Amino acid sequence: MATDDQERCRCCFLKWMNLQQQELSELHQALTLQASNKNSENCLRQLAEKCIKHYQDYVNNRSQLARNDVSAFFAPAWCSNWENSLLWIAGCRPSQYIRLVYALNGIEIDAQLHEFLQGTRTGNLGELSPEQFHLIDILQSKTIRAEEKLTTQMASLQEDVADQPMVAITKGLSKIGEMNGELDRALDKHEQGMVGALEEADSLRLSTLKELMDILTSRQAVDFLTAAKKLQLCVHEWGKTRDERHGRGKLMIT
Amino acid sequence: MAGMCCGVVGEGETPAPIEPSSRTSRRRRMELLPSKFIADVAVPPVLKNGRKRQKLDLCPRSSPPLQLEKAAKTCLSSEAEGKVENNETKSESEEMSPTQALNFCRSTPSAEVVRECPKFGVTSVCGRRRDMEDAVSVFPSFCLQKTQMSDGYHFFGVFDGHGCSHVAARCRDRLHEILKEQVEGAGEAVEWKGTLERSFELMDEEVRERSGPLKSTWSCRCDLQTPQSDAVGSTAVVAIVTPEKIIVSNCGDSRAVLCRNGVAVPLSSDHKPDRPDELLRIEAAGGRVIYWDGARVLGVLAMSRAIGDSYLKPYVISEPEVTITDRTAEDECLIIASDGLWDVVSNETACGVARMCFRAQRPPSPPGSSHSDVAVGAVSKSSDKACSDASILLTKLALARHSTDNVSVVVVDLRRNNDQQSLGLEN
Repeated sequence: MATDDQERCRCCFLKWMNLQQQELSELHQALTLQASNKNSENCLRQLAEKCIKHYQDYVNNRSQLARNDVSAFFAPAWCSNWENSLLWIAGCRPSQYIRLVYALNGIEIDAQLHEFLQGTRTGNLGELSPEQFHLIDILQSKTIRAEEKLTTQMASLQEDVADQPMVAITKGLSKIGEMNGELDRALDKHEQGMVGALEEADSLRLSTLKELMDILTSRQAVDFLTAAKKLQLCVHEWGKTRDERHGRGKLMIT
Repeated sequence: MAGMCCGVVGEGETPAPIEPSSRTSRRRRMELLPSKFIADVAVPPVLKNGRKRQKLDLCPRSSPPLQLEKAAKTCLSSEAEGKVENNETKSESEEMSPTQALNFCRSTPSAEVVRECPKFGVTSVCGRRRDMEDAVSVFPSFCLQKTQMSDGYHFFGVFDGHGCSHVAARCRDRLHEILKEQVEGAGEAVEWKGTLERSFELMDEEVRERSGPLKSTWSCRCDLQTPQSDAVGSTAVVAIVTPEKIIVSNCGDSRAVLCRNGVAVPLSSDHKPDRPDELLRIEAAGGRVIYWDGARVLGVLAMSRAIGDSYLKPYVISEPEVTITDRTAEDECLIIASDGLWDVVSNETACGVARMCFRAQRPPSPPGSSHSDVAVGAVSKSSDKACSDASILLTKLALARHSTDNVSVVVVDLRRNNDQQSLGLEN
């Protein structure tokens, strides 16, 4: 039963990563067509929306599986130690999306500044308009506040393990690691809390991403998703390589 | 008509310009929209939901605090406004709101030109930090009552907090009021240096004693109910722009830079613990500067002057350095910013960027005949956009260069008779 859960969780993740790869090719293709004017603004928007829809599906799927085995997602065996050490409530920090926007925007500005100062380039440097810049900043502070709230919630859940009823049950045990019905009920209840945290974190990730998509133009949204997916896939691979260097991993990760 | 934007509240003035063309009239309508909106939101001068936000008071006469986010709409195009509205109602910010992108638009009656508040743009973002500790305040004609003369005193301040946001927020809310009282207490001719020094001293006392009228309910990281939070302070750089002069009063490592004929002229000098004269002063007072991730007073604070920080007194002082600069025809703009900008962008680059923004916004072909209403309208509008564009572009540049701090930038347009100057340049 337990291995089944584990296997289903792993499958869910692997399917998701395969989909990322597939979406990345689609996004690249769309950008190429756009560059040669063969693709409409509308196509890009639809593609971005499709990606978000897929993410929504993944989140829903994950939530279902987590009800059976939530810890599998907090310390996934299918990711490298390095990747797992970067997790925030079983995923990325939603505030990372804003960092990514700033970073992408920054690369453009640096490349264009010289021309701008020479007067050979005018117009909207770094693509993000003042309005978008303003909205992204509002989104950022909102996201960080929500993140902090969830972090505090998570802290409580972790502290709870060193509190009642676990402590009283432990005191009454005659052997280390012994399990009983009372303990199982207590741990099940604790896991429910963890599922709640996971669901809230996933919903924050999703809503932040959706709001960001609303702020960005279709072209920017596709650019952003391309960069985000590429980064995600890279992080997964880098983790494997780095773990191997420390003599970990090859057997565990497929 | 002086004060299409800021005078609307409580005055009932109805600007009714005669429109020479439909294009201009559309432009005018777009300008008028925000002012009406400001009037609407300003009437009950209560912060919605008790939210504390970076705010900017555009209404000197009745002075109800305006939420800056509302005011920021003045720079947004009408198409974008709906979007902001949505986003705002969704957001439930309690802490300082980060962005201010403000653009100040008003018509330019030529006779009143010297008393007019210069156009300006403000951008202030959280950037790569997780806390917003910067605060910005802009108060055009901040001490009106006194004399005809003081009508032309305009207040611009940038405050970069450390430890928590509440000292910076307090400076934003109170410093202009304290200064106003001091200016009104003085005689006909204001002695700016002494007046500003006294105001900074009073501001520092108020922060330390937590006295003075509380404007809003505080909500910040360090709970203000606890006895003292001594390890909290803020830089303060204030520029008073008058028709003849620019007075800059600085305490800490924020900075004001004048862009004059393409040259960057710093109007303040950063108070860093390793500045030779500051080092001597600290050591004479019995303090030490220890290098621990840069020069720090007692190994703690990376600036030698600040408002607040009572635990580092007398080594860290609140006394500002004041510079008084005569305005000239060559002055282009004033850039006031926190170290989030200056750490990664040089004075020269900042001026270059602001200049290019002004140049980019010059109307493509002003009618050669005379400065008709069309031309004036175009220039005055685009000039506002230029200030706003400059402040945003400088902020973007700071982020692009990996500034890790909050970034706040105020750009003030100091060009006199914009319309004539740009016409002259085109010829």
